[in-house]
Amino acid sequence: MVASFGPIAMAVVIATIFGLLPLGISRLVAPRKPDSVKNAPYECGVETIGPTMIQFKNHFYLYALIFVIFDVEAVFLFPWAVIFSQLGTLALVEMFVFVGLLLVGYAYAWRKGALDWV
Amino acid sequence: MNFNLVLLMPEIALTSAAGLAILVDAFSPRGLSRRFLLWIAGGGIAISAALALRLLGTNTSAFNGAIAVDDYAVFFKLLFLAATLLVLLAADTFMEETRHRAEFVGLLLLATTGLMLLAAAMDLITLYISIEISSLSIAFLSAWDKRGLRSTEAGLKYFLLSAMSSAVLLYGMALLYGLTGHTRLDLIATQIGQGPNAALFLALAMLLAGFGFKVSAVPFQMWTPDVYEGAPLPITAFLSVASKAAGFAATVRVLQIALPTSQTDWTVLVAALAAATMTVGNIVALVQTNMKRMLAYSSIAQAGYVLVGVAAASQLGVSAVMFYLLAYTATNLAAFIACIAIFNLTDSEQIGDLRGLRWRSPWLAFALAVSLLSLAGLPPFVGFFAKLYVFWAAADRGLLWLVLVGVVNSAVSLYYYAQVIHDMYITGIGGGEPGVGDPVTTLGPRRPSPGLSTALTLAVIGVLVFGVLSGFFFGIGDVAARTVAR
Amino acid sequence: MPQELPPLYPISLQHGLLLGAALFSIGIAGALTRRNAITILMSIEVMLNGTIVTFVTFARYAPTADLAGQIFSIFIMTVAAAEAAVGLAIVIAVYRLRHTVSVDAVDTLQG
Repeated sequence: MVASFGPIAMAVVIATIFGLLPLGISRLVAPRKPDSVKNAPYECGVETIGPTMIQFKNHFYLYALIFVIFDVEAVFLFPWAVIFSQLGTLALVEMFVFVGLLLVGYAYAWRKGALDWV
Repeated sequence: MNFNLVLLMPEIALTSAAGLAILVDAFSPRGLSRRFLLWIAGGGIAISAALALRLLGTNTSAFNGAIAVDDYAVFFKLLFLAATLLVLLAADTFMEETRHRAEFVGLLLLATTGLMLLAAAMDLITLYISIEISSLSIAFLSAWDKRGLRSTEAGLKYFLLSAMSSAVLLYGMALLYGLTGHTRLDLIATQIGQGPNAALFLALAMLLAGFGFKVSAVPFQMWTPDVYEGAPLPITAFLSVASKAAGFAATVRVLQIALPTSQTDWTVLVAALAAATMTVGNIVALVQTNMKRMLAYSSIAQAGYVLVGVAAASQLGVSAVMFYLLAYTATNLAAFIACIAIFNLTDSEQIGDLRGLRWRSPWLAFALAVSLLSLAGLPPFVGFFAKLYVFWAAADRGLLWLVLVGVVNSAVSLYYYAQVIHDMYITGIGGGEPGVGDPVTTLGPRRPSPGLSTALTLAVIGVLVFGVLSGFFFGIGDVAARTVAR
Repeated sequence: MPQELPPLYPISLQHGLLLGAALFSIGIAGALTRRNAITILMSIEVMLNGTIVTFVTFARYAPTADLAGQIFSIFIMTVAAAEAAVGLAIVIAVYRLRHTVSVDAVDTLQG
């Protein structure tokens, strides 16, 4: 029983070594001459202007909310998809009604400009 | 599988009307008048009511027993539809002023759909979903004035407390499901005897906590005054009648069908809740100066009287509860609609500012006086008969101490209701017409709109007619109660 | 189908119920003690997760249980998402007016 975890343990060990080895070698072999430019955290592109921990435009929350709602509703599609062939036509119609109701919400969000990029 | 969609047509019609209102509004040009929204909503309510009436006497269930279509459910569906229609009519001034009329109408109809399903729910899943449909819609509606400090606060408080209480309710449901292995109320009843009692008691307490929030029973009433004060008045009216009645409809159905008293004695628990709710509501109402808060505490006290009928746990008790909710819906709607008209007139919510109202607008003063007297339970009005039936049902089950508490409370409540009537009618009688300095005369001349007047007239007629024909309407409730009472 | 091996540490009814009850209690403690509206919302979600775990555990282990418990948990998830949407919308409306989401500061209505 425990033996069946053996390959996984091997993979973990090898992956750790594979990751640490190059880091260790470069630490031992590579020359080190730090200066201020090299120590800068961001070395491609320009320096950031102003604080980086700014508040996001709270318009983004609308996208997030719309995404979450439609995403979670999809959960009902999975059990339906597994057995809908045994449920008959009514189940198919029901699911179209369900998706239709979601589309009402989607059409509303679209017409009200909740999906416009600003 | 038994998917009988015909049995669900009232709810489907109402949902379609809500979707239609929102879509037509979204796709029609900006400048167009939005009067058609009222027609869509009114039509949806009328069709839904007609379809519900056709289901009278069906007494069956749909969706594998998840939704009951019995006379009890139909009674409450018609009650909610009537209440929603009156609220819509009363809200026409409010809707003129709001920018998002279609959303208001749509959410109100969706909330009503949730309440209708709640009265019909025979399965814990349906019960939970319908509670959430109505609670989430009502939370939005309470926060309607999104630039107003009070309205958003009311919405936040209602939302947080309703979410918390429904989580507690849900845990109670989980325990009930674990004890019995079923989520259908009638199947739960067949298994309930096999569960260990401590867990069952915990489940019962958690269910009562969840329902207690919905009907604002003490000690789950903290949100009531704040939300009633902060929410727009039409929404407060809706919340105080339809939402509360649906909470009771579901409570009675769950207690009667899933938890027969032979297995779990919840009578004492509910009776204690009833006594606490009546007493706290009435005593705190005595010291209120804001009309909305006074009516909020009054509605808490009224919930206590209904709980007396629930505690009776008999067929008589169920019919008394149904009649009480009918009476309370008409009466409280009349009170709130009169308040909408008066506040539009005087721009003040203080009870003191009602002084001399009978000279300013005799009709509004009369309507408010009738509804307050009915709430207090004075004879010619429906509130008296409602209380009579509820106390009779409790006495019939030997709960005499509870009846005594109820009668004393009614006497206490008369004081604060009469105070308002005194302010409206008696104050200033010595000097005849009130002077220039009196609050009521200095204020703007806003007449009640036609919709508001119609709604108020209908509600007052309801109070009077239900009172005169109380035996007839109690009989209707009695027939319908047979479908749930054991 | 591979042969189903007995699990290393069998998860029993008690484990599931304890986890569910612990999550529910953590959630209710957070909801009652925290003052930030968004944290309260998160605590309520934790309470709901506790009930989901309880439902699924009962559906698996209760002697007479049907599948309704598992279906219930799917419904709870969707309702929780809708609840988060409504809650955040209201919290943002409050924040725009008051520039705080502390429930102690939201006290215009007396009592």
